[in-house]
Amino acid sequence: MGARKSIVALVIVLAILAIAPLGLPRFYTYLIALIVTTGLLSTSLNFVLGFGGIYQFHHAVFYGAGAYGAAIMIAKLGYSGWLGFVAGPLVAAALSFIIGLICVRLSKLYFGMLQISLGSLVWAIVYRWYGFTGGDDGIHGIPMPELVGSPLGAYYFALIVGGLSLLVMHRILNSPFGSTLQGIRDNAVRSQAVGVNVRRHQLAAIVIAGFFGGVAGVLFVVVDNSVFPDMMFWTLSLEITIMALLGGWLTFLGPMLGAAVIVCLRTFVSGFTDYWTLILGILLVLVILFLPEGLLGYVLEAWKRRTSESAEG
Amino acid sequence: MDIISFICSPGVLCQVLVGLSRTVILFIVASGLSLILGVLRIPNIAHGSLYMIGAFMAFTVSKVFGGGITGYWMAVLLAPIIVAALSFIAERAIFCRLYEREHIMLFLLTFAFALIFGDLVKLVWGAEYRTVSMPRFFQGSIPIFGLPFPIYNFFLLIMGPLVAIVLWLIVNKTKMGKISRAAAVDREMVGAVGINVSLVFATVFVIGCYLAGLGGALVAPIVNVTLGMDHTLIIEAFLIVIMGGLGNIWGALLGALIFGLTQSLGILIWPQFGIIFPYAAVIVVLSFRPTGLLRSTW
Amino acid sequence: MLQVRNLHKSFGGFKAVNGANLQVADGEIVAVIGPNGAGKTTLFNLITGILSPDGGQVMFKGEDITGLPAHRTCKKGITRSFQVVNIFSRLTVFENVRIAVLSQQGKTFNLFTPSRRLVTDETASILKSVGLMKKKDSVCGALSHGDQKVLEIAIALGGKPELLILDEPTAGMSPEETARCIDLIKELRSSMGLTILFCEHDMEIVFGIANRIMVMVRGATIIQGACDEVRCNQAVQDAYLGGGDVCSV
Repeated sequence: MGARKSIVALVIVLAILAIAPLGLPRFYTYLIALIVTTGLLSTSLNFVLGFGGIYQFHHAVFYGAGAYGAAIMIAKLGYSGWLGFVAGPLVAAALSFIIGLICVRLSKLYFGMLQISLGSLVWAIVYRWYGFTGGDDGIHGIPMPELVGSPLGAYYFALIVGGLSLLVMHRILNSPFGSTLQGIRDNAVRSQAVGVNVRRHQLAAIVIAGFFGGVAGVLFVVVDNSVFPDMMFWTLSLEITIMALLGGWLTFLGPMLGAAVIVCLRTFVSGFTDYWTLILGILLVLVILFLPEGLLGYVLEAWKRRTSESAEG
Repeated sequence: MDIISFICSPGVLCQVLVGLSRTVILFIVASGLSLILGVLRIPNIAHGSLYMIGAFMAFTVSKVFGGGITGYWMAVLLAPIIVAALSFIAERAIFCRLYEREHIMLFLLTFAFALIFGDLVKLVWGAEYRTVSMPRFFQGSIPIFGLPFPIYNFFLLIMGPLVAIVLWLIVNKTKMGKISRAAAVDREMVGAVGINVSLVFATVFVIGCYLAGLGGALVAPIVNVTLGMDHTLIIEAFLIVIMGGLGNIWGALLGALIFGLTQSLGILIWPQFGIIFPYAAVIVVLSFRPTGLLRSTW
Repeated sequence: MLQVRNLHKSFGGFKAVNGANLQVADGEIVAVIGPNGAGKTTLFNLITGILSPDGGQVMFKGEDITGLPAHRTCKKGITRSFQVVNIFSRLTVFENVRIAVLSQQGKTFNLFTPSRRLVTDETASILKSVGLMKKKDSVCGALSHGDQKVLEIAIALGGKPELLILDEPTAGMSPEETARCIDLIKELRSSMGLTILFCEHDMEIVFGIANRIMVMVRGATIIQGACDEVRCNQAVQDAYLGGGDVCSV
């Protein structure tokens, strides 16, 4: 039941967003495209975090890998844009396979800490490899194929690819693989006892999440035409974790909602003050203390309670 | 010139020692992180920010006491205490409510504090970098291997093991230390025998944060004190703690040693990417000993 | 079917299992009894692969499965229920059993078919056989303790086992729940042809349904045999049944 409602909600939102550019100034189409990108990133993180119980503390590496993969293919190696768009997520998936393989043998917290460390290594290499990755400058003004070169084209590309990715992830979460993953989250020992090879499933989940993180990275390249090393910095990883938490990490659309809230807040608050990080920190404290199931989680719980009460009364 | 004689030449050895003396700072901060990780079981991301506050605070205290040698010692004395007090407030106000909650929440809370403290520094001290001038007592150098070796770095090389020993004494020889080690293994049992586990956690947390502040105060004279020094430090501290074994102080020392050596040698051999040598070391260590070199408390 | 020879397992300095021997034949119901801390649960963990033994051998249907990890022993045909309820707390009763069935059918890497369309019949039949079909959509946290213990068994059944290991299946149950559980166990043996290995503290249950009993004290097997043999054995009397002379009755 909940599965179908999510899809309906998603389709409605996508439909609204599809006609939105007709009435909004260019800045807002950029903002919405950014929200879709970041929301996809956050959802891909929550694929393993909220639904798999895996402490994926450095997901941004795969975002950066996807973005840099596409950017380097196009800007440095001269391949066509579409090839670059395909290469990005594949690079991200490969990287997540390697990092996952190293980390998945370890228990939860070690996994998270080691992933942060390995991810930082990738960041350090990208940051210093001036010749290949543009070093701390990044790469800017990446040429795009005609279809997605304009802001409107980029917008619809992000919407379509983002929407499709969400649908695919949703499908996977409702498949036997998804059920098994959630079982592992709730009780890894029991899963083993019913015959599930926990490590293998976790690795597969990490690769899937990394792949879609890479897709988000490609979307950013399309929307912004640039990449920079901070896309892989650990602070971004924790920011998207905050988004997932804020929106509701046990729900599918929660992270998307969280991303929307935070991207909007960041854009508008940064206009008034230099201390966005401080506000983000305080917001996080409030969410942890008072709203740990997130906005969407809270709303769904309240609605469930009301319908069960009215059913009894 | 082959690698071995290159590494053993006085110039290189001197450089390696300088690198090691800087890693002492890393060890001091990492030991605090390891302590908190071992007993409270949370990786304290705010540790880097507390280190940064320690450094900035050292700058201010030093100025208040007129710089020079008095300013320096007052800074080393007071800055860590102020950092510890700050962490105590944070712990009592918010942290302690969450000890019963899911692990990951506590971890995210430390991140929230890292964000808050980071901007707090910007608020109080502004965005420019500061320098703490080296007191005349520590200026100059002494000859080691026939080459001049900065006195301050020599001082750091002594401080490192000193801190390690004092910490080891506290953890293993005091009653509080024994209780915290018990709480690390079985917090429910400790609570069941009537000890206030929350207070134990608070003490350990404050000591750990004190060490972060101490690291910051000690490093102030030899680096530019800037915003952002928290970001790189916390990653390096994580690496050291993972390599050494979570919760193990000697492990942190060993890890810092390996980190310092591989980093110094790495930069000498391959200047552009020498930074990857410590990471390679971590991966190698973890392939043979997945829980770190020395026994972790987990 | 199952043969355990001289199994050993230590934790640090503590010998939890110190020479355990066990034989279970096809279609039998075998009980393992012993005082608390005798190592019964550890023994079950060693057999199913949650722990790996320091020494000894476990043979299942002629094959050496010593030290095989838990997910592999399950595929070989051994499943278990846990003493402390160990279920997928956030999922419903139906979903809990469905995971076990999906795993048994090797479908867990299926990424695209919605779960709710698969294995519904098999899952339903298991739930019917244990009597939980009416509560199939309840979230596990809301079930009574007795129902949760039965769910434990249902999940274990999902793996289509040949040997079912039950760790204190009636612990914490009310008398009616216990009676129903015993009927269920008997039913499982008679209609599904399962071989059952279990451990219990309630001696009435043990002597009531077991074909043979193995007694463990301080990690070692002291005897395995038929009910009367065990009841009248002096060592067992002294160690476990409280001395005295049951056989004179």
